[in-house]
Amino acid sequence: MSPLSLELGLGLLGLVLLLVESFASVPRKLIAYAAIGGLLAALAVIVSGAAGSVPDSLKEFYVVDPLALFYKGFAIIATLATIILSLEYAPIIHQFVATHPERTKEAGLGEFYSLPLFVCVGMMVMASAVDLITIFVALELVTVSFYVLVAFMRRSAASLEAGVKYLILGALSTGLLVYGMSWLYGMTGELSLSGVAYKLAHWEGNSAPILFAVGLMLAGLAFKVGAVPFHIWIPDVYQGAPTPVTAFLSVGSKAAGFVVLTRIVGTFLTPGSVVAGPVIQILLILGGATILLGNLAAIAQTNFKRLLGYSSIAHAGYLLVALACIHTGGLKMTSGEVAAFYLATYLPMTFVCFLILSAMRAKGYGEDIASLKGLGRANPTLGLALAIALASLAGLPLTAGFMGKFFVIFATVLEGYYTYLAIAVIGAATGFFYYFKVILAVYSKPDGPSEGPTPDLGLLSKVSLAVFVAAILVVGVYPDLIRFALVK
Amino acid sequence: MLENYLPVLMQMLMAAGFAGVTLLASVLAGKSAKRNKMKDSAYECGMLPLGEAQPRFSVKFYIVAMLFVLFDIEVVFMYPWAVIFKDYVAVFGAAIFWWMLSFVGILLVAFLYAWRKKALDWSS
Amino acid sequence: MVTLNHYLLVSGLLFSIGLVGVVVRRNILTIYMCLEMMLSAANLTLVAFSRFRLVEGLPDYNAQALVFFTITVAAAEVAVGLAIIVALFRARQSVDITAVEKLKG
Repeated sequence: MSPLSLELGLGLLGLVLLLVESFASVPRKLIAYAAIGGLLAALAVIVSGAAGSVPDSLKEFYVVDPLALFYKGFAIIATLATIILSLEYAPIIHQFVATHPERTKEAGLGEFYSLPLFVCVGMMVMASAVDLITIFVALELVTVSFYVLVAFMRRSAASLEAGVKYLILGALSTGLLVYGMSWLYGMTGELSLSGVAYKLAHWEGNSAPILFAVGLMLAGLAFKVGAVPFHIWIPDVYQGAPTPVTAFLSVGSKAAGFVVLTRIVGTFLTPGSVVAGPVIQILLILGGATILLGNLAAIAQTNFKRLLGYSSIAHAGYLLVALACIHTGGLKMTSGEVAAFYLATYLPMTFVCFLILSAMRAKGYGEDIASLKGLGRANPTLGLALAIALASLAGLPLTAGFMGKFFVIFATVLEGYYTYLAIAVIGAATGFFYYFKVILAVYSKPDGPSEGPTPDLGLLSKVSLAVFVAAILVVGVYPDLIRFALVK
Repeated sequence: MLENYLPVLMQMLMAAGFAGVTLLASVLAGKSAKRNKMKDSAYECGMLPLGEAQPRFSVKFYIVAMLFVLFDIEVVFMYPWAVIFKDYVAVFGAAIFWWMLSFVGILLVAFLYAWRKKALDWSS
Repeated sequence: MVTLNHYLLVSGLLFSIGLVGVVVRRNILTIYMCLEMMLSAANLTLVAFSRFRLVEGLPDYNAQALVFFTITVAAAEVAVGLAIIVALFRARQSVDITAVEKLKG
């Protein structure tokens, strides 16, 4: 069985579900369950190792290495969690999509459950793509699907505004990326990354045009992952988009950006490459600025979704620094694997936060940090889960978040980048401040005299919440769980 | 020599046949026999002047334009496919035909979806 | 004689005009046109490089395959983008960039 058939299968499932949505009047929940079933089957194939290899004729476009399989699994888990989250958030989607919310029951939900499948297909292809055309098409499949998802609540001014902002900046980053690609092709005459790497290692003559191309491509990708100074869209889009989409953006879209970045940076940093020095400098400076700005701007936030947006910027900074540390032999991991590990720890903690945020929103609470007050008393389980996730985001020892940051910091030490070591530590210390502010809110008394309705979750969400919290705690003491999946 | 032009002849026949069948179908299925005032009036160039000189375009035009752009652009993939078809059919056999048909199938799904969502319905 | 440099100059100009337009224009539709112009600049660059890189006497067609995909992706982006902008217009009765300044902080 070729891994390509997984992508084809999931894409086909998405198409069938769209047809079901338009022709059959089944309960929309069934569409979500069908999508979840398909994703679970695909995950089972990947975990069992049944996803074989691809024929040699495809090797120039599409590889199946442990990193690719890891990111494929990552994409599937993120999509699963998003659809489960969407089930929780469905009433609000319906309220802001339907023309007459009181007359219809489930308008627009079918698309909302099936579109993530296309994003997932894009991310899975991207995980394997080693050719500029394949990378571009997969990246755009993800981005265009996200345009629709972000602006999905067409009767919500905030969602539309987020959609327009994401659209314009996303299209801008695409323009930069393609223009960079065209120059890279013009200079090297190659579209496959292996060909480009060979040409870069044996480059003679003026390297300025190559640097121009590399800079444009890095700028385009920095937009996608939300690195300073290309981060301006993140807080607005995160705040305005529907909560499940925000979660998907912060995990899925980020991972997609980083898998491409890992492959492309790997090409630029091939031994003997003419652009290796500048690329490392660009990554480090972007990463350092991103860590500092993300963490410092997060302190002033009062909206929880916005705070998570800035926190996601800060995490992107650590990931960029991780990619720049290429001599990580002491960790027995490559720089790409350190970044993949970091993303894998980032997934559960982010989804726990957004699951709880959805549960609160569905019960009529706002999205401000202040509205979390009293959660620890009203529903102690949810309160504890949120506290663990936030502690992990901050990087408290014995949580997954600590291990992720630990590897990145260890990598900077191995490289001798002591400036960036200092920045990473300062960023982490700042993080403690604002994450613990939220934990404090969870365990403080509510402002109002009477308590509101108790936020609660459906069965599927409870199961995934438990799995994610367990993952945070287990990986915190036993990081090899993820490392084995990565370094086969 | 002459048999090289057989495909051209076939294409002309198909074009003529398609046009004929369409015309015939519209006569048979349409209400062309019914007469009305508009139909009986003398044909003059252009439409009767109606409404303001600079009307705001209905948003329906955007939807039709968007759908047109989407379905129109897909030909860009069929053209190179058609160019290499003869060379590759020797290598891959009929498979190359089914590959393009699967692509058209995806477009068909999109078309069915647009149709069911009343995107093609001008009056709604 | 038109050389590669001429093409690159034109595409560079197109790209710069597009980029400047995105930054200074206030109408969202105009911004969107500028974005499309940037993609066209990339396409022109690709075709020019491909035309001047001869492989056995023929242009290197690999880059032109990328051009096809860019065109298609641009069309998909236009369709989705126009839909979002139309929805925004219905909600705000304006396509000025100042209509999207509610989210900040």
